[in-house]
Amino acid sequence: MKFKRTPADKIFDGLNGLIMLVIFVVMVYPFLYVINFSLSTLSQATGSLLLLPKGVNLDAYTTLLGSGTILHAFFISAARSLITPVLSLAVSGMAAYALASPNLVFGKFFKTYFVLVMYLSAGIIPSYVFIKLYGLMNNFLVYVLPGLCSAFNLILIRTYIESIPRSLQEAVYMDGGNDLQAYWKVIFPCCKPVNASILLFGILNNWNAFIDTQLYCSMETKLYTMQYVLFNTLASQTNIEALKSGILKAPNSQTLKMAITVITILPVMCVYPFLQKDFASGIMLGSVKA
Amino acid sequence: MDVSLLGVFGQKLMEGQKMKKAAPAASMPVQSKSGRLWIRIKQQKWMLLMMLPAFLCLLMFCYIPLSGWYLAFSDYEIGGSLFSGKFVGLKYFIKIFRDSSDLSYLLRNTLVINCSSLILNIVLAMVFAVLLNEMRWKKGAKLVQTVSFFPYFVSWVIAYSVVWSMFAVKSGVINQFLVRIGALEKGLNILGDPKYSWGLIITLNVWKNIGYNTIIFLAAIAGISGEQYEAAALDGASRLQRIWFVTIPNLLPTLSVLLIMNSGWILNSGLEQFFIFSNSTNWSRMEVLDMYIYKFGLKMLDFPYSTAMSIIKTIVSIALLLTVNWITKKISKSAVI
Repeated sequence: MKFKRTPADKIFDGLNGLIMLVIFVVMVYPFLYVINFSLSTLSQATGSLLLLPKGVNLDAYTTLLGSGTILHAFFISAARSLITPVLSLAVSGMAAYALASPNLVFGKFFKTYFVLVMYLSAGIIPSYVFIKLYGLMNNFLVYVLPGLCSAFNLILIRTYIESIPRSLQEAVYMDGGNDLQAYWKVIFPCCKPVNASILLFGILNNWNAFIDTQLYCSMETKLYTMQYVLFNTLASQTNIEALKSGILKAPNSQTLKMAITVITILPVMCVYPFLQKDFASGIMLGSVKA
Repeated sequence: MDVSLLGVFGQKLMEGQKMKKAAPAASMPVQSKSGRLWIRIKQQKWMLLMMLPAFLCLLMFCYIPLSGWYLAFSDYEIGGSLFSGKFVGLKYFIKIFRDSSDLSYLLRNTLVINCSSLILNIVLAMVFAVLLNEMRWKKGAKLVQTVSFFPYFVSWVIAYSVVWSMFAVKSGVINQFLVRIGALEKGLNILGDPKYSWGLIITLNVWKNIGYNTIIFLAAIAGISGEQYEAAALDGASRLQRIWFVTIPNLLPTLSVLLIMNSGWILNSGLEQFFIFSNSTNWSRMEVLDMYIYKFGLKMLDFPYSTAMSIIKTIVSIALLLTVNWITKKISKSAVI
C-alpha cells in the first residue's frame, strides 16, 4: 500500500521528526549530563551543557571504588537482585502450575486466596509490626521473604500454563512422573518467554527498591543498598564527609553524587539494550488485547 | 499510580473466557463426598505441596498482618504487644473525619496528582504511539521508542538525582543555562517550591511511564487491518484524516479500558516517589495519603491513627475497584475481578 506524498505530508513529517527529536533529548540528555559530569573536572564542568565530558577526571570513581561503603552496598544490591527473583520465580511458578490444574481440590478457595492479595493490603504499619515480630528487622531476609510470592506474576504464569496443551502433563503421568517432575521437566521449559520477562522485571525491581531499606534496615549500615546509599548521599553531606575522610585530594561532592548515580544506574544501562525486546513481549503477555 | 498493575486486568479478561471452558471438566466426577475428597487430596499431594511455599508466604506477609487492623480500634502505646491496647471502638476514625481537616488537603493532593498523571500518561502515550507509527524512518522510530522506555526502569532515587542535576537552584544545568541566556534572573526552585510540585511530580510520572503505555498502544496499532487505510485512501483521505478517522477510533477502546481500569488505583501513590521528592518546603502540595500514613505511623509513632487512615484508604480503594469492575462488565461483558 502506498500513498502519495503531498506538501502537507512533508510538513507533517518535518514536525513529527521535530517532536521525536525533542522526546529523544528529554529521555537521553539528563542521563548523558550526569555521566559526563561525573567524568569531568568540576571547574570546567560548571555552567556547561556538557554534551561531552570536559577535562576527563576519574578521581570521583577512584574515591568511590576505594571506599568499602560503595562496594558493600553494590554487593548487597546485586545479591538481593539475583536471589529474590530466582526464588520468587520458583515459588510463584510452582503455585501457578497447581492453580492451572482444572480439578484442583478447593480450587475456588485457592484462586480467591491468591488473587485477593492484589486488592487487599494490610498497610504500612501492620506490615511493619509483623516484620518486626518475625525478627526480620535489620536482617537480609527482609529483602527476600516478603517478595517470594507475587500474586501478579503467579496469575501471569498461570494464564500462560493454561495455554499449554494438558496432554504434555498427562504424558509425564503416563511415564509414572509426579506433578513436581511434570512442572520442572516439561511445563517450566515451555514457559520460557513468561519466565524470562518475570525474571528480568524482578531483577530490576529489586535493584531499584529503596523504601524497604528505609523502613526495615535503616539501622544496619551493612544492609544498605546502592539506592539507599545514593539517596543518603543526595540528601545530606554526612556520607560525603565519611567518604572523604582519609583522602587527601577529594573530588567535589557534586561530582561524587553524580558518580554514585552513574554506578547505581550502570547495571540497568548495561542490561537494558539486550532485554528491551523481552520486556516488550512481557508487557504484551499481560496486557489488554483490545 | 502503579501502571504495571494494569496488565492484570488484561489477564483477567482472558481468564474469564478460559474458566468457562474449564468448568465442565471440574464438575464431572460426582461421587460420595468426603471419601472422594480424601482420595483427591492424596492424588494431588504433589500439587498441594508445590503450592505450600507460596501459600505460606502470602499467609505470613499478607493475611496475618491484616490482624494488625486491630491497632486502629485500640489505644496502642509504642512498646506494647500488638493486642495490648484497650479497645476504643471508632475513636480514631471519628478523629480523622471530625477533629482533623487534613483529609481535605490530602485528598486534593492525591487526586490532583494521580488523576492528572493517569490521564496525561495514557493520552500522551497514545499520541506518541501514533506519531511513532507515522515516522517514515523506521529505525529512528525504533530508536526513539527504545530510549523512551528507559526511564521506566530507573529508580525514583535516580530520577531524583537526575532532576537535581538539572534543576538544583544554583548547580542545576538547566537553571544555569536559563540564567546565562538571560531568560531568568535566578534559578527556579523546582524541587523546593510548592508552586512547582504538582507539575514536577506529574511530569516525572509521564516521563517514567510513557514508554510502557506506548508499547500497549503500538501493539493495538499493529492490529489495525491495512484494508481500513486502503479504503480511506480510496475515499481520498489525507494523512491527517487517515490518522483521525482510522487510527484514533481504533485506539479508543484501548484508551478507555486503560483509563477505566487504572482509575481503581486512584488513591494509591508510590510511597517511594513521595518520600524522596517531598521536603519541608513543598510538603503542603506534595503530601498524599500514603505519605501521611507513613508520617503519622513511623515518624510520629501514632500507630492507631495511621492504621485507621490506611484502613479507610483500602476500603475506599476496594469500593472503587468493584465499581470499576462493574462498569467494565457492563461495557465489555467480561468481569475484571
